[in-house]
Amino acid sequence: MSETLKMKEQKQQKKYVPEISQKEIEELNKSIETSSQKIVAETIKKMKETDKNRPKTMKYFDEMADLFDKRKKEIIEEKKSGKKVIGYLCLFAPIELILAADAIPVRVNSGWYDASKIGDRVVPVEVCPVIRSTIGAKMVALSPFLENSDAIISVLTCDGMTKLGEILSDYKTVWQMTIPRIKDSDQALQLWNKEITNIKKEIEKLTGNKITRKKLRKAIELTQKATKAFRRLQDLRKGNPVIMGRDAMLAIQTYMWDDIERWTENTNKLCDELENRVKNKNWSTSPDTPKVMITGTPMFWPDNWKVPTLIEEANPQGVIVADELCSNERILNDPVGVDEWTMNDMINAISERYLMASTCPCFSSSDGNEDRINWLITKVKDYKIDGVIYYVVRGCMLYAMEYTRVKKVLDDINVPVYYLDTEYTREDVGQMKTRIEAFLEMLSARKDF
Amino acid sequence: MSITLLGNILQIAVFAGLILAGILIILIWVKDKTKNISTLRLFVQIAFTVLIFLGLIIGPYGLPQNPYIGDAPRDRLVGADLFGNQFPDGLSVPVLACWYPNGRTITCAVWQLQAYLFPFWESGPGFGWGTFYSLNGLQRIAIVFGFLIAMSLVIGRAFCGWLCPFGLYNDLMIRIRKLFGKKHLSFSDRTNKALGQSRYLIIAAFLILSVILGSQAIFGIQLIDNTAPGEYYYSYFSAPFCQVCPMKPLCVLIEIGAGAMLPLQEINHSTGAFYQAGYYVTSLNLAVLAIVTIGALAYRRFWCRICPLGGLTALFSTFYPFKKVALLRLNKIEEKCTKCGICKRVCPTQVTEVYEEKGGDVTVSGCMLCARCVEMCPYEDCLEVKMAGKPVLKSRNWLEPTENE
Repeated sequence: MSETLKMKEQKQQKKYVPEISQKEIEELNKSIETSSQKIVAETIKKMKETDKNRPKTMKYFDEMADLFDKRKKEIIEEKKSGKKVIGYLCLFAPIELILAADAIPVRVNSGWYDASKIGDRVVPVEVCPVIRSTIGAKMVALSPFLENSDAIISVLTCDGMTKLGEILSDYKTVWQMTIPRIKDSDQALQLWNKEITNIKKEIEKLTGNKITRKKLRKAIELTQKATKAFRRLQDLRKGNPVIMGRDAMLAIQTYMWDDIERWTENTNKLCDELENRVKNKNWSTSPDTPKVMITGTPMFWPDNWKVPTLIEEANPQGVIVADELCSNERILNDPVGVDEWTMNDMINAISERYLMASTCPCFSSSDGNEDRINWLITKVKDYKIDGVIYYVVRGCMLYAMEYTRVKKVLDDINVPVYYLDTEYTREDVGQMKTRIEAFLEMLSARKDF
Repeated sequence: MSITLLGNILQIAVFAGLILAGILIILIWVKDKTKNISTLRLFVQIAFTVLIFLGLIIGPYGLPQNPYIGDAPRDRLVGADLFGNQFPDGLSVPVLACWYPNGRTITCAVWQLQAYLFPFWESGPGFGWGTFYSLNGLQRIAIVFGFLIAMSLVIGRAFCGWLCPFGLYNDLMIRIRKLFGKKHLSFSDRTNKALGQSRYLIIAAFLILSVILGSQAIFGIQLIDNTAPGEYYYSYFSAPFCQVCPMKPLCVLIEIGAGAMLPLQEINHSTGAFYQAGYYVTSLNLAVLAIVTIGALAYRRFWCRICPLGGLTALFSTFYPFKKVALLRLNKIEEKCTKCGICKRVCPTQVTEVYEEKGGDVTVSGCMLCARCVEMCPYEDCLEVKMAGKPVLKSRNWLEPTENE
């Protein structure tokens, strides 16, 4: 009797996370929330200052950017009405299946610097700050999306993500999905297909809604439309700078927690406005501004936004026209291509879209992750990029290790690339500013030349 | 009487169906032009089928008669004297549109190859089939190969993807399966490649068979009874492939439906075992058709993976040295590809090279140039169908559900 009780106690005991008093949690939560709101307001203010002529439709995305305001209330409201919220950590989680089961998908990775300091209590500082911050945010119940999610889909991509799911299972139901590290083989696809089918069952069990053919088709069409809107925005960014990179990045990033239908609608509105600006030749900044692309570790709103801010506020100024980040363009770049609208083919299409179209460096292949290289080169050509900033946070092994490969290829097509290693910390802003300005100066000199 | 009535009803039904389908397709097509390649392709397929089977029957009836077959519908075709007496069998086209009911204007190339191969050695007109020709066997073979190579070089296997009536039949089977919401099966890559290679064995086997069976004409020795020119089995065995071809019953059915062929004809002309066995259609034809129909319901474009005619067309458009000069090509730009695998999954004949090859010319013998991959590729300009170096169809940013069920 006593033994079973002990067992139960042990089960309830947290495997990773140390005990924190309720009081401390509340204190930390409050202080971070206030500081976060301050930072959001400040960043948006800065964005407005940089671009005097900022698109009016960005107002919606500004509203969405405040994580503790409108969307939080909406999600709590919808939860009350019986809807389930399913969080996900990596882009490999099949959003379409979540939508088809009438649940709300939200991405729960966190970008708070203060939260990453709390995460240090669980994992050493060598670990990537995205992981630390997410753990910290959970410990003090900070993120409204992470708090409200009924289950979390964790895909075992990089080392950090692999353990993050395990640590989070101290608090929540976590569904882990194994992703094969080689994607170009039949057995890899088979494994992933089974994982997708499995997660479909789990989602059905949690929500109590069966994923039918009609519902899944509707969900796929919804995300296809979102991708279409996203591509429209990207096409507009290909010419002269009609929108500042930060604004576009923010608009794209709100997709991670916004209602997808509404997001699509508003993005299309933004595109309409931008199209008008192109007609009137109403540029956000001088067309001679060097065009910069960011690639590397994901950047999460709001704290992890310092690099875009620095680039676009530097002197000489740079403008971000494209990125290859799994927190931005990679979310929406690839559509689910369905051949026949049968259940089987839709599931196949979903699993292929998430596995094969991905350019995540967690995959290994003998051709040196050529998909990512190809994509980068195409982007450099399409957007007429002047320079690439390779952004890596400390602890992000996979992106750091692929730098040499990317540099070699970009050197071949004569595009300068700059390796920028940093952290979530705010302390190195001054030093980073100098580095970025030096790079941008070099780019504009090259442009003049 | 009742058979004639049945024929009339069939005729009306087929006509009405085709006209309705045509109007429907034109309506959809006009709505979004070439935006939807699949619909455009269906339109072209139906139009070509109508042209082959119905368009060519307009014209003076009662042109030169074939003494062996009598007043066959093909004798009434307007193209009968397109080449005059010189080349009465018409153009050899690499699509499965049968010579039996409607030759003399457009003729399936496989039939012509087989039929001309065994009188190859005969010196001139006036012997066997040569009765109708002023050219000798060698010249005729040269003309067939000339047509075949020229056409293959121009549009290659787009004949299979865009024009072949039997391809249309296979596509219709896909549509029927989709109506029931059933999934399709897939061959393993290895099996599919083996099937693709087996077509050349089929060609070789049937050509050899047609030589053996036409032995009387070639060697002067009759290896099989009743196969001498003019005898009952001569017509059959001069073209052995045609006796198992799954398209022949459909051709006959359409021609009966269109009124170009009377269902009673087989009875009127029955003068022996050959005619009683069925004037055009053999039981082998029907058996193969049944197998292929079931196959086409389970696998997409089942027949097209083993079709010897497709093999011949591929031979003259995707193999060295023909591939250097062939005009219609599928091209892939390596840098735009993210290897998302959509092209591999949507390919009706399961061609993997488009996905696997790095870039450049990806036209392979299994590819029918149906451009389904071009249609579904979500990356702008990544895949394109090029005609003599100029892009005809390009992959584009589709992202709207294309297929309406």
